[in-house]
Amino acid sequence: MASRVALKTKSKGAKGGAKPADERSAVKCLKEWSTWTIKKAKVITHYGFIPMVIIIGMSSEPRPSISQLLSPI
Amino acid sequence: MATLVPPATTAPPPPSPDSKPAEPEKVDYMDLPCPIPYEEIHRESFMSLKPELFEGLRFDFTKGLNQRFSLSHSVFMGPTEVPSQSAEVIKIPTAHYEFGANFIDPKMMLFGRILTDGRLNARVKCDLSENLTLKANAQLTNEPHMSHGMANFDYKGSDFRTQLQLGNGALFGASYIQSVTPHLALGGEVFWAGQHRKSGIGYAARYNTDKMVATGQVASTGMVALSYVQKVSEKVSLASDFMYNYMSRDVTASLGYDYILRQCRLRGKIDSNGCTAAFLEERLNMGLNFILSAEVRIDTYCFFFFFFFFFQLILCQPPQAIEQSTGF
Repeated sequence: MASRVALKTKSKGAKGGAKPADERSAVKCLKEWSTWTIKKAKVITHYGFIPMVIIIGMSSEPRPSISQLLSPI
Repeated sequence: MATLVPPATTAPPPPSPDSKPAEPEKVDYMDLPCPIPYEEIHRESFMSLKPELFEGLRFDFTKGLNQRFSLSHSVFMGPTEVPSQSAEVIKIPTAHYEFGANFIDPKMMLFGRILTDGRLNARVKCDLSENLTLKANAQLTNEPHMSHGMANFDYKGSDFRTQLQLGNGALFGASYIQSVTPHLALGGEVFWAGQHRKSGIGYAARYNTDKMVATGQVASTGMVALSYVQKVSEKVSLASDFMYNYMSRDVTASLGYDYILRQCRLRGKIDSNGCTAAFLEERLNMGLNFILSAEVRIDTYCFFFFFFFFFQLILCQPPQAIEQSTGF
């Protein structure tokens, strides 16, 4: 009985062993990819948010001039 | 000679058009007002009892380039609290300059502030449709693992509001608030913080009339918060607040006032921790604001005073004036 159960689980394990490995690598791949994306997005937001707001503001009507942007008063 | 006064059979004086009728109005339960957002349920008591008390000196200058776009420059000098392991509060004197850009449109608001140490505070509010709003905010630093970001999706229905919140560190939250009667709104929220392995559920209720607002909130994190704000007149309101944490057995009660006058706003409060604070905001001139704040903490013998000048310069001319001046 025990040996039959052991055989059954072994065969199950052999079949199932390939699938979890594939799934695990797919999940790992997805995690790595999403971590990479978030890191890049963080750097882009950190450096690009304020310039983006300035560009959007300078292109809104009525358009201000560059001298107004740069002068302190 | 005593005369019998007949019982009051005369009709009550007719109500003036502005006052409400004496008999209760028939409530149309299909047409209830939209409640305020769940996170603003304590809004009135928060505004009266928790002004932004700071320590040090701050000077703020906002320059408007046109109706929607403005740049701001801010200088702050004063002690900032540093998180420490012990119960004592450690303060380090710091000074920084902050540059900011704001873009305010009816459909989109962008707000960015960058400090001299490289920290960025960014806020975005965008109306994706008539009822759906996206709000996002982020504090980004150069240090690893110290940045935070959060995005909220708000949906506003005819008599309910619902919000979905996503944050970094696997933070998920959802809240729902519904108007049950024209004066009463009930709501609930759930959150799950994956990084800290914490989750919680909370309930809130808010009852408001023209003259008063009473709110209550309970959360599974142990917090019970009750507040009551009474609007004594157009210019004066009194607020009281009670916070109890049944896990840590911590209790705080506070009482405060809020005077909104023509040129200034004065707020003061006293606390059961022995903290007394006063906060004055005054508009000295067109575009020039002045803030004085003082806080005295008897339990820790700390005294904080703050002085803030805020100057806003609007350089844009209204469109008609531009046409007249340029002749087009």
